[in-house]
Amino acid sequence: MARILGGVGASHAPSMEHVYDAGEEVRRNEEWEPLFGPFQEVSDWLGELRPDRLVVIYNDHMDEFFLNAYPTFALGVADEYPIADEGFGARPLPPLPGDAALGWHIARSLVADEFDPTICQELEVDHGVISPLPMVDFAEGDGQWRIPVVPLAVNVILHPLPTPRRCYKLGQALRRAILSYPEDLGVVVVGTGGLSHQLTGPRFGRVTPDWDQKFMRLLADEPETLCDYKHEDLIKLGGTESVEVVNWLAMRGTLPPKASPVVEAYYAHRIMGYGLQAFAVAE
Amino acid sequence: MSTKSTAGELTEDYLARLAAVQPRDLPEDLDLFDEATATRGLRLNKAAYSLKHAEQRELFARDEEAWMDQFGITDEERELMRDRDWIGLWRAGMTIYVMVKLSGVTGVPLPEIGKQMRESG
Repeated sequence: MARILGGVGASHAPSMEHVYDAGEEVRRNEEWEPLFGPFQEVSDWLGELRPDRLVVIYNDHMDEFFLNAYPTFALGVADEYPIADEGFGARPLPPLPGDAALGWHIARSLVADEFDPTICQELEVDHGVISPLPMVDFAEGDGQWRIPVVPLAVNVILHPLPTPRRCYKLGQALRRAILSYPEDLGVVVVGTGGLSHQLTGPRFGRVTPDWDQKFMRLLADEPETLCDYKHEDLIKLGGTESVEVVNWLAMRGTLPPKASPVVEAYYAHRIMGYGLQAFAVAE
Repeated sequence: MSTKSTAGELTEDYLARLAAVQPRDLPEDLDLFDEATATRGLRLNKAAYSLKHAEQRELFARDEEAWMDQFGITDEERELMRDRDWIGLWRAGMTIYVMVKLSGVTGVPLPEIGKQMRESG
């Protein structure tokens, strides 16, 4: 049977792609070391853990899904996920390898658990997945994806959004889906997004480090408490676009109630509160 | 029809949950992308979303007016686009996620858009 080896919460942002693509020297300069240093620790940790699959809970930024039919939850069931063109030409990375069979199993299990995702046989992934993923997946840094991925997208854009509690429960259902998969696979679940940022209106650029750090503490120790937060609370505390932290909460739902971070980092820089938190699950 | 028979079904718990998915108690400058905004902005969002396709970006570069002709946008909306009035486009319902694609073709970087947004307050 499949096992859950750990979970990772990581910000996603185009800025992370620019820095990553600029090369090792830029990643490790004074400006970016506070973010990419800890990412390297996560990368090293995963290199030892050697997961067979990643499930990535993220949100699309109108690069695949559009307002004609915006899915609340959407699950990939493909063997390959092309890199989306976000309006500047696609980033020169090979398509992400998938695992259609695991995707379909998760689809059945989620539906049995009364979560009914949009099921996607074709899905282009954007920076919601691929901005943190090279640091998680390119364990040896040669630009080749190693670990097949199952992407799970959450609507954090078009209100009404699924509630924080619903996203946590989605994670708990995803946990059952993984644990019931008959193949002997080690799985790490990644939740991407946030932390605080505000990209619209007169508060553009506002970052709230105190809240971000409290969020990470609550995520580790009291995820149920975070379920009581409303979108309204998250928006006031971290900014309109910061509601995507529900992706972290879904990731946390796949882990046991007690889980302590093996890597934890926070870096408020320019217009983003960047967060990173990796949890190991005791076997 | 008696309302008495259904009143019990609309529990306080349900009503609280219903209220929670429509944030209302927000400062005025934290506008949401919801029913009103999405309805208002559909045309503009369609237009900017199209820029994920290289041929639409080429058309934009070649003939911005012809590019706009495709989406049935209003004269006011055209004017906002021509003026690179980012805060105006946002108020007209354009989401930041497609505005970023428009930022690409117009060569106006996000920090510049942000500056305009901040100065609108």
